[in-house]
Amino acid sequence: MSPRLLALWLKESIALLRDRHGLLALFIMPTIFILVMTMALRDAFTPGVSIDVSYSVVDLDHSPLSQALIKRLKKGASFRLHDEATDLDSARRSLLNGEQNLVLVLPKEFGARLLTPGGTDGKPAEPLTLLVDPALTPALQLAFRNQVMAALGAVRADELTSKAGKLFGLPVAPGASAEREWPDEIRSEAVRNDRNARLPSSVQQNVPAWLIFAMFFVVIPVSSIFIIERQQGTLQRLRAIGLPFRLILAGKLLPFFIVNQLQAVLMVLVGIFLVPLFGSEALALPERLPLLLEWWAVSAAVSLAAVAWALLVASLARTSEQATVVGGVGNILMGAIGGIMVPKFIMPAAMQKLAALSPMAWGLEGFHIVMLRHGSFVDLMPSLGRLLAFAILSLALAVWLNHRSLAAQS
Amino acid sequence: MLRIDGVSYRYRNTETPALREISLAIPAGGVYGLLGPNGAGKTTLISLLAGLLTAGNGEISLNGQPLAAARAANPRAIALVPQDYAFYPMLTVSENLRFFGGVLGLSGAEQKAQSAAAIAFARLEQVVGKRADQLSGGLRRRLNLAIGLLGRPQLLLLDEPTVGVDPQSRHFLLDAIAALPAAGTSVIYTSHYMEEVEAICPQIAIIDQGQVLVDGALADLLRSPEPLLELTLERPLPAELGERYAARHEGALKYCLRLPSTAALPRLLDELATAGCTVLQLNLGQHNLEQVFMQLTHRSLRD
Repeated sequence: MSPRLLALWLKESIALLRDRHGLLALFIMPTIFILVMTMALRDAFTPGVSIDVSYSVVDLDHSPLSQALIKRLKKGASFRLHDEATDLDSARRSLLNGEQNLVLVLPKEFGARLLTPGGTDGKPAEPLTLLVDPALTPALQLAFRNQVMAALGAVRADELTSKAGKLFGLPVAPGASAEREWPDEIRSEAVRNDRNARLPSSVQQNVPAWLIFAMFFVVIPVSSIFIIERQQGTLQRLRAIGLPFRLILAGKLLPFFIVNQLQAVLMVLVGIFLVPLFGSEALALPERLPLLLEWWAVSAAVSLAAVAWALLVASLARTSEQATVVGGVGNILMGAIGGIMVPKFIMPAAMQKLAALSPMAWGLEGFHIVMLRHGSFVDLMPSLGRLLAFAILSLALAVWLNHRSLAAQS
Repeated sequence: MLRIDGVSYRYRNTETPALREISLAIPAGGVYGLLGPNGAGKTTLISLLAGLLTAGNGEISLNGQPLAAARAANPRAIALVPQDYAFYPMLTVSENLRFFGGVLGLSGAEQKAQSAAAIAFARLEQVVGKRADQLSGGLRRRLNLAIGLLGRPQLLLLDEPTVGVDPQSRHFLLDAIAALPAAGTSVIYTSHYMEEVEAICPQIAIIDQGQVLVDGALADLLRSPEPLLELTLERPLPAELGERYAARHEGALKYCLRLPSTAALPRLLDELATAGCTVLQLNLGQHNLEQVFMQLTHRSLRD
């Protein structure tokens, strides 16, 4: 081991340990993000979970069929029935007060005209009315509407069956099928490479996402030390001692690579032990050693890309303020388009294409291949390749910028 | 012995060369002063000697060996103490010394001994555990110097090492630097403070606009066959007298005249009396560096 390199590593480590703001950005910020975002997005990643949207029903008909429809709706787990409102005015008030989000109004003669919505007398049946909270997302409005349509179809089918039964002299009680517990006829299954299929949870999405984001924040301590070295003439002194610039870069790579790996360990521990304390599912890492090694390979590749990016920003920036703006804003942009802050699957198609440009998206894709799809090393190659190419390109640019800066001074 | 032969240097994208055909012979075992105003070319010359720049033409040799070869043979032979506080503010004094010792290739007992010697030399014992950014300006200068001494260099390049320090620390630094040759380290000392150079440099060169105006022993440069006479008069000096005695107007009614010899003084005083110029103040003495510089460049060192 070269004593020069050892001295450089030791210096970087001590300097980082004394940089409270840098440590805060590297370790505390992602921990908080993981906890908050895992809680906030818990339901968005869990299919079939009840949606915390309540509704009430105003039954102006009070017929066995309107009650059968209400029972049918109650069976649907997605929306929560707040109450059966007695009149339309109180239902509107509760909507305005924010006590519930949706009110379904069943008109008079709902039951009588269930099978003849077009009307036998030439007068169409009065439609069901859905009063909605305008703040409710269109997707949820549509989902509830579909649930009502499904329940309506089921009640109508029951009624038809009942009438047909009567016609043929069979004993069928009206609305009886609404009482029955029907099994969930649709099962969601994540497609991955082994049989142990289960959809990713919020924690499995958020831990790698915010870990990647935090890893890229080495840009703050790396650039702050580098700019001090340049501004105070320390780099010049090191050059006068005969230290090549590539050795100075190497002196920065390893300490921050280790810092990134410590971040990875800490964030995984947060996912496993801290997140469950806040009511979410614990992070599940792959259990097989090859998959764990793949997970580490992704972590290492993200780290190399992050440190190289930090060195490039440090070489570009003239002042700490510039580095904070370029590095910080650059990271936030890479995170925003890379599916860190907003999961990629809820982005519009054009934005999802844009995400392919973000190194953070490559890292997240790599983690998802390992954690969610249990992919092989070959499956990981595109993500790892892009990250390593980005790291090499950034380092080459940093070296070139340094040479250009020296040439300009000479 | 450091020899600089016909060295020129021009920065990229500039018309004027920073150094033009500089030639100097700097003897070992002393403190050699490089004096010149800001922008004279001192830092460029120091950067060439430190290996930060490469001379466009000319040759530099150390003890008869080309500079690059001498540096390759002994990377610690030449050390630079830059004008800036070139160390890590977040590290303590001892951590800084350990780091720079490490990058110099020192380790184990040698590193400890060298660090201890540098600490003792710069009198940093009381602050070894203190962070560098908590030190006063004077102590930072001492740390800057101590780092330069870690490798026990044959030649120490000091670029304006007393900028921004209090008088007490300046005296300490000057005494310490003056003692270095006795410990086996030759020094090239750049400054635009003539008092400092006069105090510690037996040999000097005055540089201006990239050229050596004069070099040699300080005593020889200050010794002049023509005594200088400073006069403060009641009325302006008559033009005819000013021309004859090569007078230089130094502000208000103050003049600096060059006498052919001290014997010429009574005659001059008679002539002034005849012209009705009452002498308010008279000072007959040696040149100082400021005067030498002004004679050579017709500018002040601090311009």
